[in-house]
Amino acid sequence: MSSSSSAPVPPPQPSLQPNALSHNSTTLSDTIPPSVFTLPQTAQLEALYTIIRDKDTSRGDFLFYSDRIIRLLVEEGLNHLPVVKKSVVTPTGSTYDGVGFEGKICGVSILRAGEAMEAGLREVCRSVRIGKILIQRDEETTKPKLFYSKFPQDIAKRYVLLLDPMLATGGSAMKAVEVLMEHGVPEDRIIFINLISSPEGLKTFAGRFPRLKVITGWIDQGLNEKAYIIPGLGDFGERRYCE
Amino acid sequence: MSQSFLSEKLEEDAPQASVPLKSHTKNTLLISHGRPPWYGQDGERISDAFVIGVAGGSASGKTHVARQIVKALGSIPTVLILSQDSFYKHHSPEEIALAFESKFDFDHPDAIDMPMFASCLADLKACRQTNIPVYSFEAHQRLEETKYAYGATVIIAEGIMALHDPALRSLYDLKVFVQCDSDLMLARRIARDTKERGRSVEGILEQYLRYVKPSFDNFVRPTATFADIPIELISTHTRRQLQERSNAFRPKMVKMVNSSLYTPTLVKERLEDDPNMMIMPSTPQLEGIFTILRSKDTSHQDFIFFTDRLSTLIVEYALQFLPYSPHTVTTPLGTQSHGKKPDAKYLCGISIQRSGSALERGFRRVINDVPVGTLLIQTNSKDGEPLLLHVKLPVSIRHQFSAPDTWVFLLDAQIGTGAAAFMSIRILLDHGVKQDHIIVCGAVDNEMREGWLEGDRGEGNEDGAGRKDLGYGTWYGSDRYAELLNFTACIDGRR
Repeated sequence: MSSSSSAPVPPPQPSLQPNALSHNSTTLSDTIPPSVFTLPQTAQLEALYTIIRDKDTSRGDFLFYSDRIIRLLVEEGLNHLPVVKKSVVTPTGSTYDGVGFEGKICGVSILRAGEAMEAGLREVCRSVRIGKILIQRDEETTKPKLFYSKFPQDIAKRYVLLLDPMLATGGSAMKAVEVLMEHGVPEDRIIFINLISSPEGLKTFAGRFPRLKVITGWIDQGLNEKAYIIPGLGDFGERRYCE
Repeated sequence: MSQSFLSEKLEEDAPQASVPLKSHTKNTLLISHGRPPWYGQDGERISDAFVIGVAGGSASGKTHVARQIVKALGSIPTVLILSQDSFYKHHSPEEIALAFESKFDFDHPDAIDMPMFASCLADLKACRQTNIPVYSFEAHQRLEETKYAYGATVIIAEGIMALHDPALRSLYDLKVFVQCDSDLMLARRIARDTKERGRSVEGILEQYLRYVKPSFDNFVRPTATFADIPIELISTHTRRQLQERSNAFRPKMVKMVNSSLYTPTLVKERLEDDPNMMIMPSTPQLEGIFTILRSKDTSHQDFIFFTDRLSTLIVEYALQFLPYSPHTVTTPLGTQSHGKKPDAKYLCGISIQRSGSALERGFRRVINDVPVGTLLIQTNSKDGEPLLLHVKLPVSIRHQFSAPDTWVFLLDAQIGTGAAAFMSIRILLDHGVKQDHIIVCGAVDNEMREGWLEGDRGEGNEDGAGRKDLGYGTWYGSDRYAELLNFTACIDGRR
């Protein structure tokens, strides 16, 4: 039953399991903190990133393909939520021992690029509550400053999926986590989801919040002198909404 | 004696005979009911299509005879009448000029592209798709477009030169020559051409004496020696032949699955060991989705939502089996990024109705710009054999030149006995799609259930109907189509 030489070679079994880690670079894997999880680094995922990185990609394609990645990220993030054993009766009358989802969730997007991930979240979790948070750089202190936040009232009892497409220095993401924790959300109940991270940002972020899980689609080379991710994809929010 | 029989028959029907003698749309596909399996349990084709060649003089009633054969055959699945008129050669400008002056000899064997005729017929006989040329009588020229044909059980090739070419003759299972009185043929020709083609009697007679009559005497009539059978005999013979070729397909399938060799545990081990069988890694979310889909208490709304979510994941997973090649782009920051791009020349989806349509939404979420074809395969209530009722394939598969470069995602939400998927794969292989370019997406069932395909068991909605059995069955096609990639989200053991 072995396939002939012309058959496509199946890639290594991709790991959607929460504990399985794979990296796009061997040099990076030593420095990646254990709380960081990447999507399986398949050629297909690479092709998706190639499209959204391309400066000549149309806005329509940018939307479509970034949504596909976001959906996969959200699906991966949800796998870190607990499930409980559950038995159901099938229409054929037999019992099936499966699992049920446990715990309420909510999404929190870091404005404004994070908003772009809300649609993807909703496609996977219908009627999910979504909070918002606006953090900008304070020109006096050059530190990230909270400008606005709006959360569901019972956010302290929920698992929070924190949404921000790009993790560069990690400054605003860390500020957002601080705000969430001030609202009573335990660190280990927050899952931070982003499309592209810089190794530096990941290190800083995970060092600060080691119990918080980070789901990232791709870890890039690093930051340039302006703290942009290289190669990156430019300004996500700008490309998604304005260009 | 049989000759006279045919002639009598035709004279009797002569008034009606002029009706089907339409000028140039003689290629006809007649479908009476679904097409039963034309392949054995190993997936290989067990018989060719049955090919009948019908020749005879111009206006002798060939088309009529062809139709009579079809009529007499009764409930034969699919009959294609292929007319010689389609195969007039590609003409040079000089020839076209002659044609417009009625000085081109269309009744000479050289006017017909015999190799093309034979190649199309050979394709159809071997159950492959073919692309029949289209000839325009208005322009006196072969057009760029072609007509796609596939899946006929009986093919009738008709034309004055149908029995002329040895290559063509070797393809026929049965050769028929329609004998008709010359006076009658001329009379019909005059009647037809004045009425349908607006010609003058003078012109018709001139053409008749100059081309039609000599051609008939020199090329057509001599071929009468190759054949001669009355219609009754033709139909009886054809029916018997088809009967012999018919195969009790499904009983064998069922037997195979139930035989000791295929005990559930063995099946399961085999499936998971099969390098072509990709099972999506189980995750808490996937398990949770399956639990919801299996529960009888799940609302219809939830069922659809979670089916869409699951199918999106299935297609995303399946996509990684496409070929990819390196691709470098420039990012908005001006830096180079070395990535990949898909390397499939043509890509399409094919949804096996009805359950396949449950996967379509997920498919569209992932691949939004490729054609999605449809196959409708029902189970014959009499013998449980799968019947092919409807074939609507993407253009890249219809054309012989592009089919080998096409990658196909075959969508089937539930694979029960697999008979429908099996037939679908055979159809794709018939079209020249490469086995390792077919990716089957679905959830596998471990029990014999195809009843869900019948509309009456559903709730009037395909998702609702599909749900009734989601999750128990087996896929047995993988060892037969070894190179085929099967992808599935979940395999259940038999309870």
